[in-house]
Amino acid sequence: MNETEHDRRRDDIAAYLLGALEPGEAAELERHIAGCAECEEELRRLRPAVQVLPETVEKVEAPAALRIRLIEQVRSEAGSQAAPEVRGAPRWRFGLRPLAGFATVAILLAAIAGYAIRDSGSGGGGPKTTTVVSGHSPGVTAEMVREGETGTLRLANLHQLPAGKVLQAWVQRGKQVVSAKALFVPNPDGTATATIDGMDGVNTVMVTAEPRGGSAQPTGAPIVSVAIPQ
Amino acid sequence: MKIRASKAERLADEELMPRIGEKDPDAFEVFYDRHGGVAFSLAYRIVGERGAAEDVVQEAFISIWRSGARYDRARGSVRSWMLGIVRNRAIDFLRSKAGRAPKLDFDDDAALEHRPAAELTDAEALRRETTHELRGALGELPGEQSKVIELAYFGGFSHSEIAKMLDVPLGTVKGRMRLGLEKIRGELAGGLA
Repeated sequence: MNETEHDRRRDDIAAYLLGALEPGEAAELERHIAGCAECEEELRRLRPAVQVLPETVEKVEAPAALRIRLIEQVRSEAGSQAAPEVRGAPRWRFGLRPLAGFATVAILLAAIAGYAIRDSGSGGGGPKTTTVVSGHSPGVTAEMVREGETGTLRLANLHQLPAGKVLQAWVQRGKQVVSAKALFVPNPDGTATATIDGMDGVNTVMVTAEPRGGSAQPTGAPIVSVAIPQ
Repeated sequence: MKIRASKAERLADEELMPRIGEKDPDAFEVFYDRHGGVAFSLAYRIVGERGAAEDVVQEAFISIWRSGARYDRARGSVRSWMLGIVRNRAIDFLRSKAGRAPKLDFDDDAALEHRPAAELTDAEALRRETTHELRGALGELPGEQSKVIELAYFGGFSHSEIAKMLDVPLGTVKGRMRLGLEKIRGELAGGLA
């Protein structure tokens, strides 16, 4: 291969690494590289320059709901009903689970230690189901009480938030995560309570730390995420 | 044999992949926690919509979950391999959107300013500064080189499409790509790697 031809190949290799060759051109180049040590070395040499490109993009926080959906799907496909074990705690059953903490908030871990579902019956004034999901860990204790359409989330052992931050509750229905319109801050003793209306169809209640005034979508990983039994 | 998440956290990516191939959800969870952030950032950079970026990342990670054993060490790090999958899925998404206008806005800060105020948090503002530093290798390139690289890698355009778009010969486009990658490679060799 003469020098001009080799220069053309080198240009092709750059375009190939960037995914800019047409499929036929890419296949032809791959065949060539398979028999050309010089071009193979060129490919190997330039590859890191392309591999660094995704690392240069503006960092955008991945939605917490995305992680939840992925892990739920993976565990479902794995045939496992169990959630991740956390520091020796028993496997959780109804989904009170820890996630990576918000960057400026101490990481709070919650591991389910027990749960109870109490069905108060449906007589009298219509359906009224009370569901309690609770758990504790060295980090935080959470309890979700549902009475009909209203849920009460009680948290304890919370760390105090940095200035300008509040806690915000979110509800997930299917894939959609929306604000529960509940902004709150921990009490001095580390407890906090949020009332969540419209629990119908909610499969997960989450709490994140958000800027004062709240956010339209979660901007960080949940401090706690409570799966609601259906 | 399943391993506990705490043990999986101590494994290197290359050691996690066989576990994922064995359908160990704990290993997958650790894998996602390590790389989900950059994967979402890349997908969002390419498709420009949070919902679409979520779909791209979800599809990419599920494909990895279902075919984790296909990772080949010879083709680079696990992270690069994963990001390649995300990038390809994101480009596929772009191409599936018929009539989509080319992404020609290279100013991410300008794009961010147009996002809803609620999305622009203090943490994001801090990350912007960090990203500016990380972006050095690409930012130092002459505009004509960074443009063809961005159009190809983040825009999913072929060299012939870019040539038409910029009204320059095909050889010029490929030459600029090579020169740009050469410079980035040089920067990496100089200590950014």
